[in-house]
Amino acid sequence: MIRPRTFSGGTHPPGHKDLSSGKSIVRLPAPEVVRVPLCQHLGAPSRPIVAKGDRVVRGQEIGAQNGYISLPTHSPVNGVVLAVESGPMPHKRSGPLVVIQTESEEGGQVFEQWTDFGCHSPAELIERIKLAGVCGMGGASFPTYVKLSPPPGKKIDTLIINGVECEPYLTADHRLMLENPGDVILGMEILAHVLGVGKCRIGIEVNKPDAIELFLSRGVDVLPLKVRYPQGAEKHLIDAATGREVPAGGLPMDVGVVVQNVGTAAAVAAAVRDGLPSLRRVMTVTGGGVVSPGNFEACVGTPFTDLIEAAGGYTGDVSRLVSGGPMMGIALLTDGVPVTKGTSGILALSASEVRDAAEGPCIRCGKCVDSCPMQLTPSMIATAAQYENWKAAEQLGALNCMACGTCSYVCPAGRYLVHYIKRAQDAIRAAVAGKEA
Amino acid sequence: MTQTRRFELGMSPHVGSSQTTRKIMFDVVIALMPALAAAIWFFGPHALLLVGLSVAAAVGVEFLCLKFMKRPLSFAFDGSAAVTGLLLAYNVPPGVPWWIPVLGSAFAIAVGKQAFGGLGQNIVNPALLGRAFLMASFPVLMTAGWTAPEAWRSGQSGLWGTSAIVQEQLAGIPDADALSGATPLNVMKQTYDLDAGAAQARAEGDETAAAALETRSEAIRSSLSSGPTYMNLLLGRRGGCLGETSILLLLIGAAYLVIRGVLELRLPLSYLGTVALLAWVFGGPGWFDGDPLFHLLSGGVILGGFFMVSDMVTTPVTPMGRIIFGLGAGVLTMVIRKWGGYPEGCSYSILLMNLVTPHIDKLTRPKVFGEVKRNG
Repeated sequence: MIRPRTFSGGTHPPGHKDLSSGKSIVRLPAPEVVRVPLCQHLGAPSRPIVAKGDRVVRGQEIGAQNGYISLPTHSPVNGVVLAVESGPMPHKRSGPLVVIQTESEEGGQVFEQWTDFGCHSPAELIERIKLAGVCGMGGASFPTYVKLSPPPGKKIDTLIINGVECEPYLTADHRLMLENPGDVILGMEILAHVLGVGKCRIGIEVNKPDAIELFLSRGVDVLPLKVRYPQGAEKHLIDAATGREVPAGGLPMDVGVVVQNVGTAAAVAAAVRDGLPSLRRVMTVTGGGVVSPGNFEACVGTPFTDLIEAAGGYTGDVSRLVSGGPMMGIALLTDGVPVTKGTSGILALSASEVRDAAEGPCIRCGKCVDSCPMQLTPSMIATAAQYENWKAAEQLGALNCMACGTCSYVCPAGRYLVHYIKRAQDAIRAAVAGKEA
Repeated sequence: MTQTRRFELGMSPHVGSSQTTRKIMFDVVIALMPALAAAIWFFGPHALLLVGLSVAAAVGVEFLCLKFMKRPLSFAFDGSAAVTGLLLAYNVPPGVPWWIPVLGSAFAIAVGKQAFGGLGQNIVNPALLGRAFLMASFPVLMTAGWTAPEAWRSGQSGLWGTSAIVQEQLAGIPDADALSGATPLNVMKQTYDLDAGAAQARAEGDETAAAALETRSEAIRSSLSSGPTYMNLLLGRRGGCLGETSILLLLIGAAYLVIRGVLELRLPLSYLGTVALLAWVFGGPGWFDGDPLFHLLSGGVILGGFFMVSDMVTTPVTPMGRIIFGLGAGVLTMVIRKWGGYPEGCSYSILLMNLVTPHIDKLTRPKVFGEVKRNG
């Protein structure tokens, strides 16, 4: 096999993927009541177009797209709207959602099924991907159709499918690749057709040799990658795959590349071939805080409590609940939140797995500098932020931080480096916005 | 619907590496233990006494400072004060009286570390500052406290004993000149000067002066109880500071730190590489005839290179900065060895470079991923 590629910096946290990597995806039926968030992606929430008492069918639009960076929202079930309200979300404090009493999860209203996508123009396909509400399933949840519509003048020549899954614990993408390679490959072909690119590769870390084998045997151009966090970060995946460095503050399209997650590719395939909007997703429910970790496919709007129950419930020493992976995921105040299109994992960590909260003084060991994948100096930015010297933080490149968490992970003093840097970013952006206003 | 449950919040990342400040400090303590064994073997129980008192003083003074400043007392036991105490003791001659390292450690911690704000805030290496304080305050004791290796076995000094020369000094006996060249570097420096003087005298036709200088040079050479063979230097059978002599055991300690991921090799390698190169260029009597190996094995550069040049707090955090720091300290070490007033320049070279560390960090910030040269 070719030598696995990687990037400079990063770290190698213990994977803990064996907790769930051997578990097949279990398809959970829709719960009795779904709570469908109207904002499951980056950008503006969709506008509710149903009201209490309305009868809805599966696949029906219940929230209309509201701006450019926004997507329509669909009902995952046939049923009756119980309420349009606000409630706690996994990715923010609270947001609007449509509560639906489930009657069944069959049939409903779907798009026309396009068995031969080749007969359709890129514009038609992009429109379909938008109407189906497909967004990035890797974590950032950016509307996919926007990524597929580069401004004129930006020539895209490479598509990279992201099957890296570098976050520890998570195995949803791995299982999806193993159990549904057909959809991933079809989605990849559709995306390549839409972008008009000849070159298309799938990046997979070498800790998933079965997935690499499988895709190689299907004639896919696989890019084996070293196991190194954050290998799956868009810019670093591009660097490893093409040797191109996305300019600071720029986007992948600036170097002619589009990156899409394997889950997104599968969602695109379903939207085009089966005419299905984005209604379900695969996620890993894992950690030392649940009894039997596993991979599940559930409707958006399914409460986390149902998934925890599916994973055997909490163990006695569960201490922290996280939406996403342990490095970048968000700690939750409550498990009464619904699954969104961006929920790649639900992590229940036991007390022994959670890092020590105590923070000591910086001993200038330089580990954060050595391991920052963006080649920043996290300790210096964090110190500037602690003194609220936003100007110094900006000069040190604070805005380039992607909050991957590598610096905080390696810090022997346990400093909340990412937290301070994020604070600096917010303050710098607020100052810029203030100037523009 | 299932009952929901509430959780405590926390910031990402939710997991952390197993490395902690405490573990790093105690790894350094462990890495310094083999050299302590060598010190006891060669310089007797007095060495253990000095080290023990030094560490106790460092930790004790740290505790008192923290108490006085109303800061968390747990800092005193994070291992960093113990490391300072150890290094201070390793940097004094083995024959000094017991209060020398106690005073040095107290100064190192109180003035070198806590006065600047404690762990991570100090500008210069506290142990080396403590040593500089001792050198300035007790120059005679600090340069006359050498003991010959293994002399303690013949009963020259006991547990509380100090070297004969120190006892003479303390008793006010003035001239102990002949013995003061008991370290290989000292011998080299003095004999090079004397030999050069003799050669010049002979060239000027002054045979008597030349002969006198040569005799004196020979006398100093013979003051080394065991010859400075590479094997003796490697094992540590030579005069020198308490913890610096056994190169072999220091290297074992350094290897342990590398395996534990505590020691980053850029600093020691650039430092020792520079010392070796310059030793070859002008470390000998003439140009390009120096003995790099002798320069590395004698004196304190191995202890300095692996345990003090690489001190995290006082050296640059950037990869390039570390290489530059090592280069600068290496040049200063050899300049002091060759032209300075001291036979060994390791500790002052590090102290001087510590002062420019912030500037090095500033000038060597790595290029941010994807950053393009502006106006370029």
